[in-house]
Amino acid sequence: MARAGKRDGSASPAKPRPRKPRAKRTSAQQERDAAPTDVTTDLAPDVTTDLAPDTVPPDDALDELYYGEEAMPAPGDYGAALDRHEERPSDRRSLPSELRELERRVRARLTPAFPIEARRRLALEPLWRGWREFAMRGRSEEVDEFGKDSLAAARLEPVLDFLHDRYFRIEVEGLEHLPDTGPAILVANHGGALPWDGALLMHAIRRESRTQREVRPLVEDFVFHAPFVGKLLTKLGAVRACPENAERLLAQEQVVAVFPEGAHGIGKLFRDRYRLQRFGRGGFVKLALRANAPLVPVAILGSDEMHPMLSAGGPIARALGLPYLPITPTFPLLGLLGLVPLPVKWKIRLGAPIDVTARADDNAASGTDEGLLIGQVAEEVRSAVQELLDDLVAARRSVFLG
Amino acid sequence: MSSPRVSRTDAAESSGRRIAVIGVRGFVGGALLRRLEDDRGPERLVALDLKKPLAPLDRSQFYRVDVTLPSADGDLADILAREEIDTVVHAAFLGNPTHRTAWAHELEDVGTMHILAACARARVAKVVLASTTLVYGAAPGHPNLLVEDRELSSDPRVPFVATKVAAERQVRKFRAAHPEICVTTLRLAALLGPKADSLAARFLSRPVAPVLLGFDPLLQVVHEEDAIDALLLALTGDHPGEFNIVADGVLPYTTLLALLGRLPLPLPRAVAYPLVNALHALQLVSSPSAMLDWLRYLCVADGTKAREVLGFEPRYDLRATLADFLGLPVGGAEYAVGEGRA
Repeated sequence: MARAGKRDGSASPAKPRPRKPRAKRTSAQQERDAAPTDVTTDLAPDVTTDLAPDTVPPDDALDELYYGEEAMPAPGDYGAALDRHEERPSDRRSLPSELRELERRVRARLTPAFPIEARRRLALEPLWRGWREFAMRGRSEEVDEFGKDSLAAARLEPVLDFLHDRYFRIEVEGLEHLPDTGPAILVANHGGALPWDGALLMHAIRRESRTQREVRPLVEDFVFHAPFVGKLLTKLGAVRACPENAERLLAQEQVVAVFPEGAHGIGKLFRDRYRLQRFGRGGFVKLALRANAPLVPVAILGSDEMHPMLSAGGPIARALGLPYLPITPTFPLLGLLGLVPLPVKWKIRLGAPIDVTARADDNAASGTDEGLLIGQVAEEVRSAVQELLDDLVAARRSVFLG
Repeated sequence: MSSPRVSRTDAAESSGRRIAVIGVRGFVGGALLRRLEDDRGPERLVALDLKKPLAPLDRSQFYRVDVTLPSADGDLADILAREEIDTVVHAAFLGNPTHRTAWAHELEDVGTMHILAACARARVAKVVLASTTLVYGAAPGHPNLLVEDRELSSDPRVPFVATKVAAERQVRKFRAAHPEICVTTLRLAALLGPKADSLAARFLSRPVAPVLLGFDPLLQVVHEEDAIDALLLALTGDHPGEFNIVADGVLPYTTLLALLGRLPLPLPRAVAYPLVNALHALQLVSSPSAMLDWLRYLCVADGTKAREVLGFEPRYDLRATLADFLGLPVGGAEYAVGEGRA
C-alpha cells in the first residue's frame, strides 16, 4: 500500500475499482475471460470491499486455478499497478511445482525498487573508489554514540598541543581532586566569547591526568547548533547539554564538564571578567544526586582575556538571532583575523570535590526540601569556583606571562 | 462468496497463528509476508491491500481492501472474523512522501482508525504496528539517543510524518482502551538494504546528496532483514509497548555519504530551505523543506529496550548495512577504505 500513491497518479486510490469476476474460474473459463466480450460482466463500480478472496488457496488440486487466476486480472483491474515485475507468462500450468517454487523465490529476489547495480557504482568503479577514499580522509568509520571521532580528534591533536604548550602555555593544578576512575562532574567558569575553554579543558585533562581521563564537555545549544562549531566540537567529544545525555555519560562512568553560566558566562563583557554569572537552575546538582557523582569545582584563568569583549552587540546580535556578538578591539574590525585569540597565559585549577550524596543523606535525615538542598549545593560550588578564580587572579603578576 | 475453505495439507503449523498483514504492497508488509510464507509457521496468512504485493503470493489469501473507505472498518472486521485472524500487522504506511497529502492523511490516519476499529470488533489478540523513528521528529532539543517514551513530533510542516504521528497517537489510545489486546509498535529506523524501498534508500541511492553547510547530524539506520526479524519477534512474543528498532552504531551524515561514495552538495541553510520549497511547490521533489531538519538536528533512537525486552539482536550493524546496501560483501576487504579505518 505504501507505494500506491506513487504509481497511479491518475486514478484516485480512494475510488473503488471495478471488481474482478468473483466466481472461481476453470481454465476453460479463463480462456473465455480473455476474450474481450466477456469482461464487461462486472465492471460496475462497487463501493463495498470485495469480501471474496481474490485468490484461491494453493492447495495441490487448485494450484492450477490459483496461478491461472493470478495471471488473468480483469482488464482495467491492475492496469495502473502493472509494472514489469508483475508481468508473468499467462500460461504456466505446465510447470512442475518445484520449478514454480524456484521461480517464486527468484522473483521474490528480483523485486528491488532500484537495481543494485545502479545504486552501488553510480560513477565508474575506480572513480567511485577513489572518491570514497578521498572523502574518508580524516574520518573514522566508527564514532561513539555521541559522535566522537577518534581519528578526527587525533588529527586535531597537534593543533590543541600547540595551543596548550606554546600559545596559552596551560598549567593544570589540583589534578589529585579528579577521581582516577568512575563518574565525576567538573563545574567550570565559562568565558571568552568563543568556546575554547571546553576544548582546552578536555585536552589538558586528557594530557595531564594520571589515567588520561576523557572529559566530555557539555555544550549549550547555541554553540552546539551553531554551524561548523557544533560539528567540530562533536567530533572532538563534546556533547549537547541535556539531562538525558549527561546521565548516560555518567552511567558509563565518564567525566563530564559543565559550564553552568552558559551563554551569560561566555558572552560577558571584559569588565566583568572572572565574575561568575548566575548558575542556572542547578541542573548539575540534580545530575550529581541522581548519578551519585562528585562535583569538582574548576577555575579556568585566561579565557576571559583572550577575546576582550567591549560590547555584546545588542540589537545587531538580536537581529542575527545570536545570544551575543563579540565586539572586541580586533573583531569585527579585522574580519575573521580578529577572531585570533590573544596569547594570554592560562591556568586551570581543580578544587576539592563536593560529595553530594552525603549531603543528600543528611538532608533526608533532617527532612529538608530537596529543592533547597540543590540551591545550597549549587551556591556552594559557585563560591568554590569563584574562590579558586580569585586566588588565581591574585597570584598572577601578568596576564600574558603568568 | 460462501465456498468452503480449502483445507491445507502443506502446513507445518508450528506456531499456528492466523496472521493478517495489512499493507502488503509496501516494502515492509511485502517483505514480512514473504518471510511468513517461507517460515511455514503461521496456520493462516491473509494479505490485505489496495494492490497485490510485488512478489507473487504463495499461500496467503489476498483481499483487496481500501482502508480509506468509510465502510472499511466493517469490511475489515468481517474479513478478520471470517478468517479467524488472531494477529494483525498494520504496515499500511507510505514509505515515501507524496504530494497527495490529503489522500495520505486518509490512508494513514483514517486508515489506522478503521483498522483499529476492525481489530477491536473482530477481537484479535494482537496488533503489531510498523511505524518509524521519524515520528520523533528532528528537533534542536533532542538528546543524542531518544527513548521510547519521548514526546512525538507535533510538527505539522511534514505531513509524511504528521500522519504517522497521528496514527501512533490513535494506537496509544487504543492500547489503553483495550488492555486485553497486545499492541506492539515498532519504530523502524531508516530502512536500508539491497531491496528496501524507503525514503533513506532512495535518498542515498542518488549520486549526489544535499548537505546543509556547517551541519552534520548523526544518523542511524536499520537493515531491512533486521527490521523484518524484529516484526517476527513482535509476532511471536507478547510485548505490548513501543520499541525502537535500530542497527548498532551512528555516523555523521557526511561520513555516511563518504562511505557510500556519494557526492555531497553543500548548500547554505538560507539557500537550501527556499530551494527545496520551490522544488516542492513545483512537485519536483516529494519532501517539503522542513524535512531538511533531519539533515540538521538529531533524530537518533535508542535500541536498548528492543534488545532487552523484545530480545532483538540486529545481525547487521551500521557498517554492515551500508556494505550490503552497496552490494559489497559484508565485512569484506572490498568494503574497507584504506586510510579511514578505525
